[in-house]
Amino acid sequence: MYPLIQIELFKIFRRPRTYISFGAIAALILMIQFGLKVDGQEYVDFMLQSLGSFDIEGQVLNGYLVCYIILQLMLIHVPLLVALVAADMISGEANMGTLRLIFAKPFTRSEVLLAKFFATAIYTLLLLVWVAVLALFLSTTLFGTSDFFLMKSSYTIIMNRNDVFWRYVCAFCFAYLSLLTVAALGFFLSAFAENSIGPIVTTMSLIVFCTVLGTLNLPVFQAITPWLFTTHMITWKEFFDVQTDANNNALPGTIENISLIWKSSIVLIVHIIGFVVATLYVVKKKDILS
Amino acid sequence: MPPILKATNLSKRFSTLQAVEDLSFEVQEGDVYGFLGQNGAGKSTTIRMLLSLIKPDDGTIEVFGKSLRQHRQQILQQIGAVIEKPDLYKYLSAIDNLKLFARMSGIHPTTNMLMSQLEQVGLQGREKDIVKTFSQGMKQRLGIAIALIHNPRLVILDEPVNGLDPQGIADIRNLILRLSKEDGKTIFLSSHLLNEIEQVASRILIIDRGKKVVEGAAAELFDPAKTVVELLTEDNNTCAQLIQSSMEWSKKMKPARNHFILMEMHRNEVPAFNRWLAVHPVNVLSLQPRHSLEDYFLQVTTAHQHVPAYTN
Repeated sequence: MYPLIQIELFKIFRRPRTYISFGAIAALILMIQFGLKVDGQEYVDFMLQSLGSFDIEGQVLNGYLVCYIILQLMLIHVPLLVALVAADMISGEANMGTLRLIFAKPFTRSEVLLAKFFATAIYTLLLLVWVAVLALFLSTTLFGTSDFFLMKSSYTIIMNRNDVFWRYVCAFCFAYLSLLTVAALGFFLSAFAENSIGPIVTTMSLIVFCTVLGTLNLPVFQAITPWLFTTHMITWKEFFDVQTDANNNALPGTIENISLIWKSSIVLIVHIIGFVVATLYVVKKKDILS
Repeated sequence: MPPILKATNLSKRFSTLQAVEDLSFEVQEGDVYGFLGQNGAGKSTTIRMLLSLIKPDDGTIEVFGKSLRQHRQQILQQIGAVIEKPDLYKYLSAIDNLKLFARMSGIHPTTNMLMSQLEQVGLQGREKDIVKTFSQGMKQRLGIAIALIHNPRLVILDEPVNGLDPQGIADIRNLILRLSKEDGKTIFLSSHLLNEIEQVASRILIIDRGKKVVEGAAAELFDPAKTVVELLTEDNNTCAQLIQSSMEWSKKMKPARNHFILMEMHRNEVPAFNRWLAVHPVNVLSLQPRHSLEDYFLQVTTAHQHVPAYTN
């Protein structure tokens, strides 16, 4: 299957469409960084207003905070960019008339599909690494590092600068699971269509739909929201919630709700496996008429 | 010698449409097997079943003496196929497309191999151009190069001349003849154009509405002794009476079709018939000799025509 994965990667990275995602991410992140570099202090002052009188040592607007702001803002955009490629993997081939050529080659359909999914997973990983390079490394280079001052809805966390980087590494790893879930969904929907627009739009719509369903917080939906993948896609934020001692000081190296992270990871992994297995089942049964 | 390809009682239904029904045929090694039928006759469905793209509801397929179901991968390694009009990867160059499919066929071609394959289909000099800039004919030739790159024993070409201009059609025809005569490939060629099949095929199978209509060696099916002459005159009734009164030609007359008088005779007799008409008071508008298979195919085709012929 290794040659098949190589072939799929070759196809992905020779398509101009692939680079739209990398370009869009770079443009967004650079724009946010530029804005914060120019007017960031005003933003921080506004943020701190609500705290009243408060003494802070160090630089509040540092690379870690900028990275957090970027990740929050891009939470909805990166999955859409992943869908752009993942939802095209099967339907795009059907549209070009190459799916029938591929499936007439001496590989099983499962091998072809798994190679396609692994290639999509590699593309997703590279996209996330790109986000990490720009959002974390470029931000820390431009804004420096300091203790991480993070305002949550009802409390504020101050983390030691040496206690932040590993959290980002974990958050990015978790974000990879989230993006892979979106990729698997797009891949699954791609199996039903003969051009990529339908599955791309459907993937995006489902993300929006499930996100709205989750945020509505109405009792009628409470039975299903814990199982929606979108509910768990934001769990990466839990890596930035720390346990505190009796004096409410953050305990370095701790995570407040590790069980939620495990639960979310399991839900997302089950979604990924479910979507991929369903794709294999659908395509293996399917007559290739495209 | 066992057939290289043997289909037995193939059937396939798509909801209410019986696309292929109880279809059986055999292809011998070295044949150029013409698979003929009008659009929607079931040719592409059959070909897709031969390539395991569509699962038959019934029937079996044996290729190289082995069951396709049980030895799919082994069999597909030795088949090259162009299925309808593939657009290929439009954003890749011709050579990249070729290399990619070669690797999918399990070979690691050298640049020389790739160039030689492109040369064989007349695409030398265009190897680095992206496929998006290619004409349909060039894409079709590249498709054939892709089908041949791994040196398959059996080449399946589904409507390879569809949508091509006359030069493109001639190019594909020459390519098929060269593959057959020089390289000894077995070719399974589908088309809805009888005259194209006629020029290259050694055996022919005609299907209509998914069923076999006729199968046989091209030499037999194109027997000149069974030439059908289509005659159109200013006054067909008078002309028909005239022919019926002739000892020589009356026996060769067949029931009229549409607004034509039909005659069946040896191809060599057509000039004599023409001369006979010329000395009689008949104003001939057209006299069209066709061999019986062409006539038959025309009958099948016209039987399903959606728009009636305009006869003013």
